[in-house]
Amino acid sequence: MSYSVTVQELIDQLGRLPGIGPKSAQRVAFYLLKAPPEDALRLSRAIAEAKEKVSFCDRCFNLSEGGEECAICRDPRRESRLLCVVEDSQDIVAVERTQEFRGRYHVLQGAFSPIDGIGVDQLRVKELMTRVGEEDVEEVIVATNPNLEGEATAALLVKYLKPMGVRVTRLASGLPVGGDLEYADELTLGRALEGRQLLDAGDD
Amino acid sequence: MQIRSLHLTNWRSYESSDVEFGDGLTAIVGENGQGKTNLLEAIGWLAGLGSFRGAPDGALIRIGADSAILRAVVVSGDGREQLIEAELPRIGRNRIQVNRQRLPRMGDLLGVVQVTVFSPDDLELVKGGPGLRRGWLDAALVSRHPKYGALRSDLERVLKQRNALLRSAGGRLDADAEFTLDVWDSKLATTGTALRTARVELLDEMVPRLGEAYDVVARRPAAVAASYESSWDDDLSAALMTARGHDVRRGVTTVGPHRDEVRLSIGAAPARTHASQGEQRSLALALRLGADSVVRASGVAQPILLLDDVFSELDPHRAAALLDALPRSQRLLTSAVGLPTPARPDQVLYVVDGAVRVAAA
Repeated sequence: MSYSVTVQELIDQLGRLPGIGPKSAQRVAFYLLKAPPEDALRLSRAIAEAKEKVSFCDRCFNLSEGGEECAICRDPRRESRLLCVVEDSQDIVAVERTQEFRGRYHVLQGAFSPIDGIGVDQLRVKELMTRVGEEDVEEVIVATNPNLEGEATAALLVKYLKPMGVRVTRLASGLPVGGDLEYADELTLGRALEGRQLLDAGDD
Repeated sequence: MQIRSLHLTNWRSYESSDVEFGDGLTAIVGENGQGKTNLLEAIGWLAGLGSFRGAPDGALIRIGADSAILRAVVVSGDGREQLIEAELPRIGRNRIQVNRQRLPRMGDLLGVVQVTVFSPDDLELVKGGPGLRRGWLDAALVSRHPKYGALRSDLERVLKQRNALLRSAGGRLDADAEFTLDVWDSKLATTGTALRTARVELLDEMVPRLGEAYDVVARRPAAVAASYESSWDDDLSAALMTARGHDVRRGVTTVGPHRDEVRLSIGAAPARTHASQGEQRSLALALRLGADSVVRASGVAQPILLLDDVFSELDPHRAAALLDALPRSQRLLTSAVGLPTPARPDQVLYVVDGAVRVAAA
């Protein structure tokens, strides 16, 4: 037996979402069909409203609501000499939670991965170079993920940015704070050993 | 290490079965098609998260059943007893528990059960393509130094990414693609060089043991050699640069550890093309014994030996020599033809139609 055109269309559309396979799409579709009409409508309104109001910032490609530039780019108290490069907007939220960073961001919208067809042209690399050329950026902090693709992206950025005379740094990798050494996996611990720091007794 | 007991539900031909294993030598006998190998395959699955016969997980679930379950009690070298449970459903992800604790990642099970498998297919290690020998060497490397597991998967991923980039270039590189290829080349150079160094070191450690094992099994001493033949000289970065034009045209990476070869020879002649069938079979056994011996000597693991139907292909003398050459840990062997005469198994299990019965030894 097959579903009616309307139901099948709903399943197909849900199945196009990331992380949702055909089985999950079916389950969500039936959940929505069984749910009270106002629940389903609230979801569809939320999607429509978000699509209408939220766009990508013209400058840093972070999510932006009510304007061409995002709230961080519009904020004059932000230092423009520090630029933190991340893969996705979610990463900005993570860095912001530290309350340690007062510079600005640049979202690449992905990481370099030929398997997924993502190369330099799919990432916002050219836009980053333009910004580094036009704004008074002194240091670019590369905060891509510490996996193979993130590392490759970082290596690529260095190649593009170094000739422009800007300082390029990479987030350190190492041990989670508050954790136990014995539970650290060998890769992380190996990295932490590599990046060990000199202990200083101070100026006594 | 040892396996004490194994429970199988809907595993291959087994509907539901419990088997207790003794230490020492266990012979699993029965006619063909009764399910002897399926028992070893289950233990092998717990060690390597896959069938050593190369069957997909779906083929391991009994026909008509929705999921297979394995439950094993193993004792590690330091006397610690662990209960390992695995559920392989037809739909969805496998679930694994150790001591009733669910493992967050399947891969965490690797290393908990260690085995060395001998099978008639091992002949292919000698006769088949270089990929099989690289696989043999890398498997020994990861058992010997578990940290190389991550290096190997990194390398595979770098190669996939680089090849995808080469294919997408469509035979021509513009400046940007050239730039991005540089990035993958430097990753490949680092991981590739590290893997080659580790492989060469391991092979050096292995060669004398290989020769010893061959002499015992073949019962006729011969100069057995294994040498590592690399697809590049000293500098992988430079070699990748030289091969770049070629790689771009072909759309694949033609230099790197995935193109290296382990050359085997017996008495200075290449084993793949010049050795007799009997010599090749002895060498295949020696490859398994040699790898097992390196892992064992390093102290990282004392693998359980699983011998799947290897005696049917050997004459009685060589079969007896092999039995004698095996390390004295737990040994489980299957045979449809009975055992070589001098074998005195500590336990005999009869398998008839998916049921296992213990016989007095």
